[in-house]
Amino acid sequence: MGAPPSSQPFISPPPSSQPFMGPPSSRPFGGPPSSQPFGGPPSSQPFAGPRASQPFSVPPASQPFTGPLASQPFAGPPAAQPLSGLPASSQPFSGLPASQPFSGVPASQPFSGLPAPQPFSGVPASQPFSGLPASRPFSGLPASQPFSGLPASQPYMAPPTPFPGPPTSSSPFGTPSWQSPAQQGMPPMPGTTQAPPRMFGMPPHTPGQTMAPVPPVMGHSPLAGHQVSTQSKIDPNQIPRPVSSTSVPLFETRQGNQANIPPPATSDFIVKDNGNCSPRLMRCTMNQIPCTGDLLSTSSMPLALMVQPFALPHPSEEPIQVVDFGESGPLRCSRCKGYMNPFMRFVDQGRQFVCNLCGFTNETPRDYYCNLGPDGRRRDADERPELCRGTVEFVATKEYMVRDPMPAVFFFVIDVSMNAIQTGATAAACTAINQALADLPEGPRTMVGIATFDSSIHFYNLKRASQQPLMLIVPDIQDVYTPLHTDLIVPLTECRQNLEQLLDGIPNMFENNRVAESAFGAAIKAAFLAMKPTGGKLLVFQSVLPSVGIGSLFSREAEGRTNVSSGDKEAHKLLQPGDKTLKTMAIEFAEYQVCVDIFLTTQTFVDIASISVVPRTTGGQVYYYYPFSVLSDPAKLYNDLRWNISRPQGFEAVMRIRCSQGLQVQEYSGNFCKRIPTDIDLPAIDCDKTIMVTFKHDDKFQEGSECAFQCALLYTTVYGQRRIRIINLSLPCTSMLSNLFRSADLDSQFTCFLKQAANGIPASPLSQVREQITNLCINILCSYRKFCATVSSSGQLILPEALKLLPLYTLALVKSIGLRNDGRLDDRSYWVSRSASLSIPMAFPLVYPRMISIHDLASKEDDGSLLSATIPLSSEHINDDGIYLLENGEDGLIYVGNMVNPDTVQRIFGVSSVDGIPTQLVLQHFDNDLSKKLNDVVDETRRQRCSYLRLRLCRKGDPSGLFFLSYMVEDKIPGGLSYVEFLVQVHRQIQTKMA
Amino acid sequence: MAADLAGGGGGGAAVADPDGPDGVRMTWNAWPRSKVEASKCVIPVAACIAPIRASPSLLVLPYAPLRCKPPCAAVLNPFSRVDFAAKIWICPICFSRNHFPPHYAAISETNVPGELYPQCTTVEYAPPPLDASAAAAAAVPAPIFLFVLDTCLIEEELGFVKSAMRRALGLLPDHALVGLVTFGTQVHLHELGFSDLSKIYVFRGTKEISKEQILDQLGLSSAGIRPGAAGAPGYPKAGPQANGLHPSGSVNRFLLPASDCEYTLNALLDELQTDQWPVEAGNRARRCTGVALSVAAGLLGACMPGTGARIIALVGGPCTEGPGMIVSKDLSEPVRSHKDLDKDAAPHFHKAVKFYDNLAKQLVNQGHVLDLFASALDQVGVAEMKVAVERTGGLVVLAESFGHPVFKDSFKQIFEDGEQSLGLSFNGTLEINCSKDIKIQGVIGPCTSLEKKGALCADTVVGQGNTTSWRMCGLDRSTCLTVFFDISPSERSSQPGIPNPQLYIQFLTNYQNPEGQMRLRVTTITRRWVDGSANTEELVEGFDQETAAVVLARYISLKMEMEEEFDATRWLDRSLIRLCSRFGDYRKDDPASFTLHPNFSIFPQFMFNLRRSQFVQVFNNSPDETAYFRMLLNRESITNSVVMIQPSLLSYSFNSPPAPALLDVASISADRILLLDAYFSVVIFHGMTIAQWRNMGYQNQPEHQAFAQLLQAPQDDAQMIIRDRFPVPRLVICDQHGSQARFLLAKLNPSATYNSAHEVAPGSDVIFTDDVSLQVFCEHLQRLAVQS
Repeated sequence: MGAPPSSQPFISPPPSSQPFMGPPSSRPFGGPPSSQPFGGPPSSQPFAGPRASQPFSVPPASQPFTGPLASQPFAGPPAAQPLSGLPASSQPFSGLPASQPFSGVPASQPFSGLPAPQPFSGVPASQPFSGLPASRPFSGLPASQPFSGLPASQPYMAPPTPFPGPPTSSSPFGTPSWQSPAQQGMPPMPGTTQAPPRMFGMPPHTPGQTMAPVPPVMGHSPLAGHQVSTQSKIDPNQIPRPVSSTSVPLFETRQGNQANIPPPATSDFIVKDNGNCSPRLMRCTMNQIPCTGDLLSTSSMPLALMVQPFALPHPSEEPIQVVDFGESGPLRCSRCKGYMNPFMRFVDQGRQFVCNLCGFTNETPRDYYCNLGPDGRRRDADERPELCRGTVEFVATKEYMVRDPMPAVFFFVIDVSMNAIQTGATAAACTAINQALADLPEGPRTMVGIATFDSSIHFYNLKRASQQPLMLIVPDIQDVYTPLHTDLIVPLTECRQNLEQLLDGIPNMFENNRVAESAFGAAIKAAFLAMKPTGGKLLVFQSVLPSVGIGSLFSREAEGRTNVSSGDKEAHKLLQPGDKTLKTMAIEFAEYQVCVDIFLTTQTFVDIASISVVPRTTGGQVYYYYPFSVLSDPAKLYNDLRWNISRPQGFEAVMRIRCSQGLQVQEYSGNFCKRIPTDIDLPAIDCDKTIMVTFKHDDKFQEGSECAFQCALLYTTVYGQRRIRIINLSLPCTSMLSNLFRSADLDSQFTCFLKQAANGIPASPLSQVREQITNLCINILCSYRKFCATVSSSGQLILPEALKLLPLYTLALVKSIGLRNDGRLDDRSYWVSRSASLSIPMAFPLVYPRMISIHDLASKEDDGSLLSATIPLSSEHINDDGIYLLENGEDGLIYVGNMVNPDTVQRIFGVSSVDGIPTQLVLQHFDNDLSKKLNDVVDETRRQRCSYLRLRLCRKGDPSGLFFLSYMVEDKIPGGLSYVEFLVQVHRQIQTKMA
Repeated sequence: MAADLAGGGGGGAAVADPDGPDGVRMTWNAWPRSKVEASKCVIPVAACIAPIRASPSLLVLPYAPLRCKPPCAAVLNPFSRVDFAAKIWICPICFSRNHFPPHYAAISETNVPGELYPQCTTVEYAPPPLDASAAAAAAVPAPIFLFVLDTCLIEEELGFVKSAMRRALGLLPDHALVGLVTFGTQVHLHELGFSDLSKIYVFRGTKEISKEQILDQLGLSSAGIRPGAAGAPGYPKAGPQANGLHPSGSVNRFLLPASDCEYTLNALLDELQTDQWPVEAGNRARRCTGVALSVAAGLLGACMPGTGARIIALVGGPCTEGPGMIVSKDLSEPVRSHKDLDKDAAPHFHKAVKFYDNLAKQLVNQGHVLDLFASALDQVGVAEMKVAVERTGGLVVLAESFGHPVFKDSFKQIFEDGEQSLGLSFNGTLEINCSKDIKIQGVIGPCTSLEKKGALCADTVVGQGNTTSWRMCGLDRSTCLTVFFDISPSERSSQPGIPNPQLYIQFLTNYQNPEGQMRLRVTTITRRWVDGSANTEELVEGFDQETAAVVLARYISLKMEMEEEFDATRWLDRSLIRLCSRFGDYRKDDPASFTLHPNFSIFPQFMFNLRRSQFVQVFNNSPDETAYFRMLLNRESITNSVVMIQPSLLSYSFNSPPAPALLDVASISADRILLLDAYFSVVIFHGMTIAQWRNMGYQNQPEHQAFAQLLQAPQDDAQMIIRDRFPVPRLVICDQHGSQARFLLAKLNPSATYNSAHEVAPGSDVIFTDDVSLQVFCEHLQRLAVQS
């Protein structure tokens, strides 16, 4: 195991090794409250006293610091002071002042060593994306120009053009970074080429440290410091919390032939791909790979990759290069079929190359031959993208096609049953489609089709020049079929007018429909049959529980309610699909490359648990509008649809992850269909979808070797080109546990937990899932405590620096909608289904939403990001005279206290009193600064999240207010611990395990 | 009140008017008294009736009939004995005594109601509705015409069908309800009553669907709840179940008055394309005739009971998909031939027949008709569909193309009014009452047994039997049924002297006439019993050889269909020989002495031609054609049927008026024009010389007007034949030695063949055949008949 931490305390000064220090170990948490910082009067009792706030801020790195600073011989101050010239005193905690001095400079401070104070400010001009900033993915008003120009102006797949990322203008991605940014992508000083992989808080200047190739130091999180001593208390304001930052660092994926540790996924950064892929595309739960499986299991951490192959790049990044090998196709290892990548080693003067995945020595094809330079690299390595870039795209040859690349087919299926008509859902869907038509990819390869359904299925023949469309009804919903061989799916260019007219007409046509039944299963099956020859995207608008035909469901909700209340152990079964029909269908869909997205515009239970199987298996997703409101939801529906069809995406994809010998893929998890063990089939894959891949050891790695991961995604662009996107990541192997902890990636690990929890919810009782998740957290911390921080007193809760927020997020996860007891079945199922494909940056807001105050927006500094000042999710921070916006990437809740200044209300909502604000909130533009800023904030959030926030008003003293407060995950709630209590609990359990 | 009725022979043998005023013809007009005698007569005792034959002398009575007490229930008729004083009538059939009801109080010798007039053996009752409200409710139901149109056609054919359809739509009465089903690979049911856009229900061609499923899927089922929807707890129950947009599950979405939907239909027809599903090379088009007809029948099932409806199927090829399929899609598999059927090598045949049999049952149940218009060069499956057409009393027309006059003119005819009208009627039921000692074996013809068993049913069954009541969903003026009787005298009645020497049979036909009114036509006939075996005279006198030939043809057709390995020719020969032995006049073993009574004289010739006809020599035709010929044989009048068996030949020449000619190759002459009426085809045959003159254009020269007239005369006569006939026969105009001449030659007696010893008269012709000629046939017959 790694060097005993005990030896390090001093060496690795600031952040890392800062345990929270409890009192003498003899007094764990169990004691009387007074003596227990954590156990004590929880929230009201801050941690330590005045300077107690420092415990976390880690001044004296090595100090297993006991609560009261004063008592600490080595206490931070002295240590910290000399080093940290700028101890961000205003933010005692967040800044970890101690660490900053070492790691460089807080974000706001230009960094002397860096090329430019604002790393990329100059770059954009030279970047293909520079033009984009103007475009804003989500503008407030659907009609006007939401998602403006983005996709349209920048056809995503056109060969040289990369994904149009979201505009660069300000910090595109809100960055709940909890460390000073300097730790992250800071490029090392020019001279220190041999710098070890950077670790959080590793002090480069410490003599012995810097030189050590693999520093034994590890970052401890400062979370500690509760002790018996009565005076020590936990200050809730000092415990680890996410911090956002506004700087946009440059991240080089490799330096000096070493992989760099990526910045937090939620932060904004610009990637320079020099061998490893962008962490947005693929990110590992640990940035060093344990040499053995034993080491991995000792750490208790998961080993998994989060692969988001189409993740939106930062606009300033270089586009992914396309390589065409001509007729021979991309060069591959002849044994493992791995693709040529920067880590393939050329030997024998370049005549042979050794595969970095399987170790096989291949002959270099004659026309690929090139001399090696003195450094052993091919002389052309820098000219060939596949030899110098972590991510490239190969042009696929015929060999990679079983048929011609499919056209971009979009088939819309709309519920027109009585409920859908009467709630306005049908009209909303028709309008949304009608408007979104403009955003479909241009060109003759874009095909569309449409069908409606109630208790039968209505297709429309759109290919009738100058005539009204023909409605073809398929009445047999037990055994469906397609009513026409051709003409159901028609090139958009040939039918646009007809289609628009039809979409206008559908709500009227069915105006008096009295059919309450809905043949959802049959409808998608029938649409599938129509799409079978081509494959494509099937977009379904469903409003009620599918009640007839194939795959019909029955309302399990009532049953569920009684079960939950009676504490039935089988309650979770209601979160499993109701029957197998839909699953069977979905597998068939996937086989024929049909991807299903479902828009649930409903006011009742629709059994998402059963329905979501279809999108999950076919690479689609569920959109959920509950309770559907004709006033506020059409805008979101439209924007969701628009983004769905215009975002970067690929069709008929197959993905495989290869890794170096020593590891093997254990499992894929996400929205796909798997027919053979090694590959996953993705009828469609888009920029929002993430696939988790877990690994296990089947052999050992040599210390100092690298473990490579290669994701190969074969897909068809919306413009009909067949491509292979290759994403490479090569990470060093280590046999030191401490290295593992230091290089742990909280973002990926937490996302991994989230997905594991989501997978577990339908399979086991909620309480069990919650326990599992808590245990995952405890085990990791315990392992750290046991093997890397043994020196510390057992009274201290010591958190690894990299994972110091793990307890907070674990707590938030345990309290999230999916794991709460009181949620509706559908809400939980939706949460589960959403989590399955969720990307890392979106995983955080889902469980730990972002909250900002908006009543004081106008007075805030306009420092570039309006979103920076996030408020911890604790009701302590909510004042009755405030207005707050909380967003989780999907919904935006606006909370209005009961003592808000009427003038503020007037300015924001245009009404004079809180009671006058309509519950169905549609945010309006008023001509005042506050309203403008609020709209800016909302728009910015929408753009960031690539999701149109559905706003909802929450009033204090209302059920809606209580709903809002249920998001305050740091609060103590009935049956749920407060953050501080949770920390205490974690600590106690670690102690139990240690004992 | 019936004084002005045209007189007519009451019960005598038909002489002047072949069918008589009653439209009833019998093989024997004097009946043998015993079973043994009857079997000795060889030719079965049978009656051919035309239940609703048009008759100018028909008496229509505007009141309800007076019926005998059950179970007899015969209607008062001229043969009833009436005791005017006691106001009692005695039923001639069961001899029950019935009191006249009060409203007949005024009856007396001088004041008898119409039905008692001796000449009014056939009357029709048109009773008014019972009360006014019922009258309103029973407002004449509009007839329904549901077109079922094949779209697996080439463009040209589709064009022909469309124009035929347009013409038909123009001819339909305004109030008639019209529906449209088109089919190819799938079935399209067009919803006509929807204005926003064209709306079509699509059914798959491969799957058999039940009537209930169809109604359910169309939202027309009375149950109203689809299976599977039931019992979803906590879910609002569906209100009125309706598919699509009409809250009411009314069939009127699909069936609209012709006047309302003519525009829609014409627009639909304009847009109608040939089936768009791809046909792979080497395959037949995928055509799901079976499902299309199921859907049509199912839809009509939602109509009010008692509504008259016709499914008019226009089929352009074989059913290759789903139920009712007759041949696979693979073109390498030929459509079944008679040989295949014989060897049981037609894999789809029995399944298809079973399917259509079920369809027939459904249609009969609903009282609806299936008409089949098959137009294709290849077979379309008439043989399989025959059962559905015949059982429902549907019309059938087989043509080569939708552009051919055989189809076009026939199709037009069914919609035409007035003189030409076929008098299409609906919902007919026939009941037969007869004197005891007579049992009914069954009926051959376009009807279905209602399985109403009774004492009158014979043990042996011929055709639709085991009943005294039959359903004719569709019938028209020419519809003709053949009723087979069994003579089975009871012990008591066989004692001579006691029983009535007359036998009585009463035919009661209930039907809905083209105007939609319900009518009851009552025909009562009487015939004489002939006692004892000695009395062949009387039997011979009462023999109707035309009827006998036709009945035999119908009977043998049935046997050929029903009995495997049945040797029709042999059976016919033996019957003929037995008949001649029984009724011929000869000395034993002396063929030269053989003579026949005039009533039998041409019967052997009929048999000779029947043996050679398409009804017996089926191998010259496809199963479809055979089925077609037999269906028409079974439903046409005796006169027409005789022509089918033995065509008529007229000769036109300069020196004589048109005259009947022998149906013999010897009738061919270079300077004659022959007009052959073989019922299904009408052939104008120009002798060689005539053809040459015509080719030279003499008829256009004023000095050769006579020639022009000669050329024209057979044309005019042919047109006359064609005009009155349904289906329209195929007109063939040919010249001697031309290829089309085969249509004539095939029908002629091959008295001169290529190996005949006779010198052939110049200008005459020979037939290249090994068939025996009539002369040889008769010689053999004489020899065998006189053998002891």
